[in-house]
Amino acid sequence: MSAQAPAPPSPSAGGPPPSDAVPLFYRRGFRRLLQQGIYVAITALVAWYVYDSLDLREFGFGFLDDPAAFKVGNQWLTDIDGVTNNRITMYLVGVWASLRVVFVAILLSTLVGVLVGVSRLSSNWLVARLAMLYVEIFRNTPLLVQVVLVYAIFLVGAPIIQEVVNIGDFAFISNRGLAIPWPVPNDGLWGLPDWFVGVWVALLIAIGAVAMTVRRTRQNRERETGQPQFANRWAFGIFAVGALVTFIILGLPVSIDRPYIEGTRYLEGMVIRPEFAALTIGLTLYTGAFNAEIVRGSIQALPTGQTEAANAIGLSGYQRLTLVILPQALRQMIPSITNQYLNVNKNSSLAYAVLYDDLFRVAGIIQNKAGHALEMFFVIIVTYMLISLVISAVMNLINSRVTRVGV
Amino acid sequence: MSEQPPIPRPEQRPLPPAPGAGQRRIVLPPHRQRARRPRSVRVREWVRKNLFPSTGGTLLTLIAAAIMGAIVVGVVIFIFFGANWQVITHNRWLLFAGGFPHEEAWRLWVSIAVVFALIGAAYGTWSSFGRRDHLFVLLVGGFVIFLMAHGGAAIWSTLYFLIAIGCMYLGYAATVWMPRETSTLRTFQVRLVGGLLAISLPLVLIILLVGGEVGPRHLDGFVLNLILAPVGIVGGVVLGIPLALGRASRLRSISLTCTAYIEIVRGAPLLGWLFVALFILDDVIGGDLIIRAMVVMAVFTGAYMAEYIRGALQALPRGQFEAAQAVGLTEMQRTRLIIMPQALRISIPPMVGQAISIWKDTTLVTVILPLRELKGNADSAIAQFEFTPDRIEAYVFVAVIFWIVAFAMSRISQRVERAQGVGER
Repeated sequence: MSAQAPAPPSPSAGGPPPSDAVPLFYRRGFRRLLQQGIYVAITALVAWYVYDSLDLREFGFGFLDDPAAFKVGNQWLTDIDGVTNNRITMYLVGVWASLRVVFVAILLSTLVGVLVGVSRLSSNWLVARLAMLYVEIFRNTPLLVQVVLVYAIFLVGAPIIQEVVNIGDFAFISNRGLAIPWPVPNDGLWGLPDWFVGVWVALLIAIGAVAMTVRRTRQNRERETGQPQFANRWAFGIFAVGALVTFIILGLPVSIDRPYIEGTRYLEGMVIRPEFAALTIGLTLYTGAFNAEIVRGSIQALPTGQTEAANAIGLSGYQRLTLVILPQALRQMIPSITNQYLNVNKNSSLAYAVLYDDLFRVAGIIQNKAGHALEMFFVIIVTYMLISLVISAVMNLINSRVTRVGV
Repeated sequence: MSEQPPIPRPEQRPLPPAPGAGQRRIVLPPHRQRARRPRSVRVREWVRKNLFPSTGGTLLTLIAAAIMGAIVVGVVIFIFFGANWQVITHNRWLLFAGGFPHEEAWRLWVSIAVVFALIGAAYGTWSSFGRRDHLFVLLVGGFVIFLMAHGGAAIWSTLYFLIAIGCMYLGYAATVWMPRETSTLRTFQVRLVGGLLAISLPLVLIILLVGGEVGPRHLDGFVLNLILAPVGIVGGVVLGIPLALGRASRLRSISLTCTAYIEIVRGAPLLGWLFVALFILDDVIGGDLIIRAMVVMAVFTGAYMAEYIRGALQALPRGQFEAAQAVGLTEMQRTRLIIMPQALRISIPPMVGQAISIWKDTTLVTVILPLRELKGNADSAIAQFEFTPDRIEAYVFVAVIFWIVAFAMSRISQRVERAQGVGER
């Protein structure tokens, strides 16, 4: 085995030494061939042993097409019944559940990380201490314990649904979860079909694009002329007016559904189940602590001159942070933060502990019913790798945008 | 530009200094020295500057104080009035060692004493106990003894624990007076303590498992965490070094397979690999489930350790390789004498981070394996009829225990870093 090494010293000017000068056994090429040969032989032997000891008589993915015959809870936007659908469909339902957790946890943990990371550097002694306390506590305890603890607090602390906490008939809290109002598409004034809300969303995206273009042109003009052009206000105004006008023209295609309780169930509205909440909060707090350390480290890595220069030109503390410090710290923190996001993806498998039906748990149920552990493991690892790839790709995109401007 | 001494700036003062890091004091020339103002003035000034600098700052302080006060009050009320700690005190042995037979308990105490003595000796050899370390030992010892004194006092266990702590100070006292400068005696001491540390894990496993009525399946409760984590960490480093070298190798077949191993292992979560241990490894290596879990822990950690070591290899200046070649070392000698010592030194901080992460991840064996470590036995404790409402207490206790060990690990790593001069040349 050889460590990474610089190129071999170039042979003397007279060309390679005559090959018959060195016995075959001591020639570099032969040595390498021998080393690799031995290595490949051992690896192949191990691989063969593993292959031989696995029970591969029934290897195949056909079992994924059989009816699932189990229920998958914690569905959102979907209501797919496990009795009639096949296993792969239910697995995809689990993947969708995982993606929701990962997405929300990444967003929230970033928010927590920036907030706490900046607070740790605050000149306010108490705030800095509070942030340090948070980081030290949540970084040094197992994520599993945090998740089950949050879950236990929900289960023990929240009232049963008969004694639900009613917040003005608007939201409800019980140990079944938190029910809040949620926008849903409806027929609207002109009796258009439900899917017409898609048109509105498409229009919103178009208006958003227009607003961004206006913002950019105004920003450019401000940079050229030095006259204030209120780019952000214009963009926001265009978007708000456009959204409102199209909303009215299309006949109010979205309404807000308020939740209500029938018997022991929540109906309508959006229900944030304790399992989802426990997992997401646990992931957020845990990853947030790590993100905070990353944010702090990358801010501290900046030269002090940056702070001093920002002070010298009279920026306020907030301006100094958002215009000078964070944009530069971002370059340093993105690789480490990406790592944390990948960890969030993998750690979301802890859903198993609170019985949240994510991809890992659904895969476990399928394996429990149908066997085929090896195939299920392939499916799991490929799914996690795909999600990781997507996260890495998005973060690389952000990274290339952030690092485009040279320092 | 000429080098100017750093000027202490007010914005930099409140940065939480690295614990224990000595702050450099700037000595001013006599004509610029001022008489030290009275303490009350200094305190008042510090408070004004750090807590009430402006209206916004004051508001922030008040909000933070309110949050902190709420947390403190909540925690105090919970600990002393709200919580029912009997779920812990009644299940002490279950949480600590679970199914480990009572009559073989001496094995546990002897192992703990050996490990404590070695920790003391290591501190005495490379570092020294500071006031914070004594305080930490005092607090943890007090916590453990408090635990054992409640609900049916365990006098013998308390005594054994005290003896174990005594062993730590004995190991410390036996080594701390030795000379620190390089000498034959010093070399001997370093080799002795280092060698003992290196064989401590097998030694503990021998004490725990050889002879008598105990086998791997008796490892249970907190003891299982305490065994799984070192096995994973040591196995991970042992696997990680060849993997890192292999990935950096010029030989294509070696670097390709090592890369594939590292990336595949890092692709799936640890729970996925424990799934493999449960259902697939049974056919491949068989053996006790605990042994399989240990193998998985080591294999999993190895991939991460390999990446950190590889990063360190890449960070080494090329001159090191070239110099080693210039003095005529063979590849083997170069790796062993020049490259690895430096690479390992650089990679201490991330490797300790990974070690702490593995320590926390030992809880995962409860999730899908029928193994019961501390968190699993806490689940068993709250499954008892009289303790079903006491979930929160049980999990808080588990979190505190894990926190103590993880905190101690991070502190020890800071000592190691300083002793090894990480970040210095």
